[in-house]
Amino acid sequence: MSKKDIASLVDDRPEDGVFRLHRSVFSDPEIFEMEMKYIFERNWVFLGLDSQVPHPHDYMTTTVGRHPVVVMRDGEGNLNAFINSCPHKGARLCHLAQGNRKIHVCQYHSWSFDSAGRIRGLKFKDDGQYSPAFDNDSHDLAALPRFEVYRGFMFGALSADVLPLSEYLGEARTFIDIAVDTSPQGLELVPGVVGFTFEGNWKLQLENCSDQYHFTSTHPSYLKVLDRRAEKGWEGTVRANVRGRGGRKAMQFPADGLEHIAGGSTSFEHGHNLNWNRRTVNDSHPLFERAEELKERFGEARRDWMFNTRNLTLFPNVQVAENASSQLRIIRPISVDRTEMLTYCIAPVGESAAARAQRIRQYEDFFNPSGLATPDDTINYEDCQDGHLNPVSPWLQGHARGMMLAGPDGDPFIDRLGVKALSSVIGGVELGDETIFHTYYRSWRALLQAGQRADEAAARSQPAPASARLVETVR
Amino acid sequence: MNQALTPAHAAEYLYREAHLLDRQRFDEWVDLYTSDAVYWIPAWKSEHQPTENPETELSLVYCASRNALVDRVWRLSSNLSVASMPLARTAHAVSNVIVEQAGDDTMDLRSSWTSHVYNPKYKSQHVYFGSYEHRLQRVDEGWKIARKKITLMNDFIPTVLDLYMV
Ligand code: FES
Ligand SMILES: [Fe+2]
Repeated sequence: MSKKDIASLVDDRPEDGVFRLHRSVFSDPEIFEMEMKYIFERNWVFLGLDSQVPHPHDYMTTTVGRHPVVVMRDGEGNLNAFINSCPHKGARLCHLAQGNRKIHVCQYHSWSFDSAGRIRGLKFKDDGQYSPAFDNDSHDLAALPRFEVYRGFMFGALSADVLPLSEYLGEARTFIDIAVDTSPQGLELVPGVVGFTFEGNWKLQLENCSDQYHFTSTHPSYLKVLDRRAEKGWEGTVRANVRGRGGRKAMQFPADGLEHIAGGSTSFEHGHNLNWNRRTVNDSHPLFERAEELKERFGEARRDWMFNTRNLTLFPNVQVAENASSQLRIIRPISVDRTEMLTYCIAPVGESAAARAQRIRQYEDFFNPSGLATPDDTINYEDCQDGHLNPVSPWLQGHARGMMLAGPDGDPFIDRLGVKALSSVIGGVELGDETIFHTYYRSWRALLQAGQRADEAAARSQPAPASARLVETVR
Repeated sequence: MNQALTPAHAAEYLYREAHLLDRQRFDEWVDLYTSDAVYWIPAWKSEHQPTENPETELSLVYCASRNALVDRVWRLSSNLSVASMPLARTAHAVSNVIVEQAGDDTMDLRSSWTSHVYNPKYKSQHVYFGSYEHRLQRVDEGWKIARKKITLMNDFIPTVLDLYMV
């Protein structure tokens, strides 16, 4: 059991204007083990969208922490999530990313299960000379202790001891609503998934999505490409929904006393956050065809928010990035310095063919490990990881911008939505707030410490195993 | 070469294209393409099925003009993209060239390819592989590429994939 002093790695002293992270947060394998155990395997984790399993008997496979999971829709349309491992001897039950099956037959000894996870056939059971005790165990698939769906976003937990999902997501739910409400039929994933890896810690991805400060520094080639295209009249190229260098500062907002505000960042409890940029309602956005309809349904303020750039992180493993296009990202940590990403283009159901094609082109242009922007992000993660083991400068300086502004009531734009933020910061294009990261690490610290405490309590209530006692004696 | 292509000439055309990528002669490479060329790397939608319709499904790269390729090539040597500094070193091998259709003005080819990619910064390497479908088209100066579809078989990508790596 780890005695690691987690609090000592997050130098969090708001009263002194200090927030610093120790680099080992990104590079210590022992911390990674704790994260898997205490965050990914004892807390809510995003699994996918329910529109990935729309029909009875559809299934999709995923992971929670280090463990294989399958989400299934049964014959009545109910969704459930199970450990994707046969109760007999553990063989993986479902092998494909997604599919449709009424009965799942295990390949190893042919036990079979229906789409509600119930055992339907135990091969040659009658001749098997099982003792009566065998049936004291359920032979059904093991359901995840918790599974809930919020507006199509499916979450599961390997521990029953978690908050209700609505409470866990809290005020961040409004930004799921804003994304989902862009269509009366909700969101879907455009067919085609893009997966990639990077040689860096998973929290580098978590942070980068919320990092406004990097944009003009990391992506000058992309911004310059946009300027080149604009000069050439966009002929044969993608018309982007973000601005190049020239257009960024020139954006005009209504003169309402807030026209100097370009965007901001907002933090919620349990590690969720949003950063955002103001956008005008204009036809470079695929949603423009619904601008009037959305205004009628949801009012102008909420409609305008649908056009804003919004990068939403739901801690710990999912991000909805709506900036150059709309992306759903699922983060899967593999080891302390390796991460897998699954990325999808997420889109409102029922948009016109032209809007959908525009969305997809904007997506490929910016995102994808083969796009014009994402590779420059991920290479940066690798270059950060490379330096995070050094013992000479263990404290990072990347979580301090915005300290003088952050507070609970700083954002009239968020107020228009009736959202209560934990902390907000707004400002001009050059603000690049970094206090948005604090909620990640405060939740991170709380979960790791809670895990340590729970394990210590469990250890106290049980006699130490014989082998451990032996070690004690020998010492 | 303003004449019908023999299969041997067509295969050599593909080797020359790969050679220009490996030598990082990107301006010459992009000049192989017609102004309305389609350059397409589909994504995969399941274990068995690449995406088929770029208007409704996601691609890794979908460029519908030479201009779009010129932008990408510009970025590679702009010194403004950290993912392209330093550029990886690559060695393509194109093989199993099959002429699917040969007319006076167009020729459709299928082939297999591998590309060894070496990243000098981290001294790491990777092999991408898959199949090409080329449509060559006769133009005044000879033959150009009107369409290239790259099916990438190992589509779980280590950090970066760019035009010259596939
Ligand atoms: S492991 Fe599944 S039936 Fe034996
Ligand atoms: Fe970025």
